[in-house]
Amino acid sequence: MLEIIHRLLFATLDAAPALVFAALGAVLSERAGVVAVGMEGMMRTGAFCAAVAALVMPTPLAVGMGMLAGAALAAVHGFLCIRWRSDQVVSGIALNLVALAGGTFLLETHFGPNGTPPIQQLGTWELPGLSSVPVLGALSGHAAPTYLALVLPLLLQAMLTRTPLGLRLRAVGDKPHAVATLGLSVPALRWGAVLGSGLLAGLGGAVLSTTVLDRFEQHTPAGLGFMALAAMVFGRWTPMGAFLAAAFFAFGNALRIGLASSSPALLDLVPQGVLLALPYVLTLLVLTLQGQRNSTPAALGVPYEQESR
Amino acid sequence: MGERTRQALPSVLSVLLSLVVCWLLIALSKDADGFTTATAAYLQMLWGGVGDWPRYLEGAAATVLTRPLGEAAMKAALLTFTGLSVAVAFKVGLFNIGAQGQMILGALAAAVVGAHVALPAPLHIPAALLGAALAGGAWAGIAAVLRLYRGVHEVISTIMLNWVALRLVDNWLVVGPLRGVAEAGASITGTAEIHPTAQLPRLLGEVSRLNLGFVLAVLAAVAVWAWLTRTRSGFETRAVGLGDEAARAAGIPVARRAGFAMTLAGALAGLAGAVLVLGTEGRYPGTLGAPYGFDGIAIALIGNNHPLGVGAAALFFGVLRAGGTRMQLLDVHKSFPELIQGLALLFVAGRLIWLAVLRKRNATAPVPAAPPAPAAQVPHA
Repeated sequence: MLEIIHRLLFATLDAAPALVFAALGAVLSERAGVVAVGMEGMMRTGAFCAAVAALVMPTPLAVGMGMLAGAALAAVHGFLCIRWRSDQVVSGIALNLVALAGGTFLLETHFGPNGTPPIQQLGTWELPGLSSVPVLGALSGHAAPTYLALVLPLLLQAMLTRTPLGLRLRAVGDKPHAVATLGLSVPALRWGAVLGSGLLAGLGGAVLSTTVLDRFEQHTPAGLGFMALAAMVFGRWTPMGAFLAAAFFAFGNALRIGLASSSPALLDLVPQGVLLALPYVLTLLVLTLQGQRNSTPAALGVPYEQESR
Repeated sequence: MGERTRQALPSVLSVLLSLVVCWLLIALSKDADGFTTATAAYLQMLWGGVGDWPRYLEGAAATVLTRPLGEAAMKAALLTFTGLSVAVAFKVGLFNIGAQGQMILGALAAAVVGAHVALPAPLHIPAALLGAALAGGAWAGIAAVLRLYRGVHEVISTIMLNWVALRLVDNWLVVGPLRGVAEAGASITGTAEIHPTAQLPRLLGEVSRLNLGFVLAVLAAVAVWAWLTRTRSGFETRAVGLGDEAARAAGIPVARRAGFAMTLAGALAGLAGAVLVLGTEGRYPGTLGAPYGFDGIAIALIGNNHPLGVGAAALFFGVLRAGGTRMQLLDVHKSFPELIQGLALLFVAGRLIWLAVLRKRNATAPVPAAPPAPAAQVPHA
C-alpha cells in the first residue's frame, strides 16, 4: 500500500511542474487584467526552443532559452493588448494558432515529423536522508523544476498578497484607473505581468521537453496550456489555488496510469476510455459541487484607456 | 468610408497581409528562385481550391474543376458550422471553446442514426441531422446549465467537456461497443458504415465530394444572421452579450437567452460533425482528425462574429485548406494554410492598428474618431 502511494506521489511530482508553472503564469497575467488564452502557444514555443537549444548547449541553459522564447511570444501579446488595446482573446488564440502551425513547419522541415533528436535531460537531485523514508521519499530524485514548482506558488502567493507590488498588480486587474490615480503606470505593471507569464509558460513548456520527455514532439504540449487555464479558474485566480488544482490534475492522471498498470483486470471492468475521461469528469463534478464565487478580476479583458472612465 | 466597410476592412487587410507574409516566408526558405517557387505554390493552392482552370482550358476533363471545388466546399461547410457555433456563443458573451467536443458528439450521433436506423432517404437524412444537432446541443447544454445554475465558468467546463467527449468516444465507444464489423466479420476502424439513405446527396455526381452539406452551411449562416438581426429573441441575445446587467434591467430573460444561445452553438457544432460523417466519411472514423472545432474559433473571430462574415471567412479558408495540399508538389510544407489562418487572426487582433493607419491615410477627409471596437465582446474568459 505504502509502495503504491509512493509511486503515485512520485509520478505526480514528475508530471505536475509543467502544469503548475503555466497555471501560475496564467494567474499572474489575469490578475493584472490580461486574458491568458495564449498559454498553450507560449508553452509550445518554450518547449520547442528549449529542445532545439539543448542540442547545442547545456540543458539548464536551454531551459532558460525556452523561457525567453515564451516571453518573446508574450511580448507580441503585450504589444497588441497593452500598446494597441486589442481584443485579448483574439490575440491569445492567434498566438496559439501561429505557434501550432509555425512549430509544425519548423519541426518537420528541420528535424522530420518524429520530433527533434534526443537531448540530455535535466539531471535529478537526490535529497540526502529522505530517500529511505517511506512515502516522503517520493520527494527525492526529481529534477530541479519539481522543487521550484513546490516553492514558487508560495512565493508568488506571498508576493501577490503581502507586498506593495502584489497589491498594485491585483489593483491593475480590478480597478486600473485607481492605480493610475496614484501616479503608477498601468501599462508598465501589465507589461511586467504579461512578460512574467510568458517566462513561466516558457518554463512549463521547457520542462516538458527536458524532463518529462527528452525531445520536442509534434503534439507537445497537447492541451496542457488549456488545462493550465482550467487550473487557474479552478484555483480562483490565486497562486496556491492554481497550484493545488494543477497538482490535482496531475494526480488524477498518475492515478489513472497507476490503476491501469497495477491491475489489468480493472480494464475488463472499466473501459480504458472511461478511465481516461475520469479526471475531467471529476473536475467538472468538483466545480459543480463547489460552485464559483465571483473571483474573476473585475477589469479582466478590458483594454485600459487613460481617457475612459 | 462607411461603418460597414470599417468593420470589415481590418479582416480583409489582415488576410491579405498574412498571405504576403507567408509568401515571403516560403520565398526566403527556398535557396534558389524562392520568389518564383512561392508564386507557383500560391497558384497551385488557388487551382487546388477553386479548380485547375489552366489545365481545364488546355482540354483536361471537367473533374480538374469539380474535384477541387468539392474539397473546398466540404471544408468550408465544416468551418462555417463550427465558426457559427463559436460566433453565436460570443454574441451572448460566452466563449465556446467546446465546439470540438460538441462536433465529436454530433458526428457520433449522426453515425449511429445513419447506421442503426432504417428509414427512407427523405426522413433518414433529417433524422440523422436532428440527432447530431440534439447531441451537440445537449453537450453544450451541460456547460450552459453549469454556468447558469452553478456559476462554473464556460471556458473551463467546455475544455473539460472536450476531453470527456474525445476520451469517451475515441478511446471507448468507437473502439468498443460501437465498433463497426465489416462483411467478412473482421472489425474495421470506426463505426459501421451508414446506410445509403443517410448519405448527403452529392451535388456534382460521384466525381466531386461537393454535397448537400455546403448548402446546409450556407442556409445555416443566413438563418443565424436573420435570427440575430431580424427577430426579437436575436436582438435580446445580442443585448445580453453587450451587457447583461443592462439587459436584465430592460426585462430581458438573461439566463434563458444565454442558455439558448449556448445550446444553439452546440447544435451548430454538432451539425458540423453530421456533415462530416454523412457527407464524406460515411462513418465515424477512428478519430475525427483535423480540429475543425478549434478552427471555428479563428473563423468566428476573422469573420468578426458576423454570421455572413463567418461564412465568407470559412469559404476563403476552405479554399486555402483544400488547395494547401497541392503546395507540397513544389516541396512547400503543408502547414502553410494553417499558418496563414493564424497570422490573419493575429493581424485581426491588431484591429486598432489598422484603424489608426486607415485614419492617417484619410487625414485629408477626416472620419469620425473610431471607437475602440474589439472584435469580440468577451467580458471575461
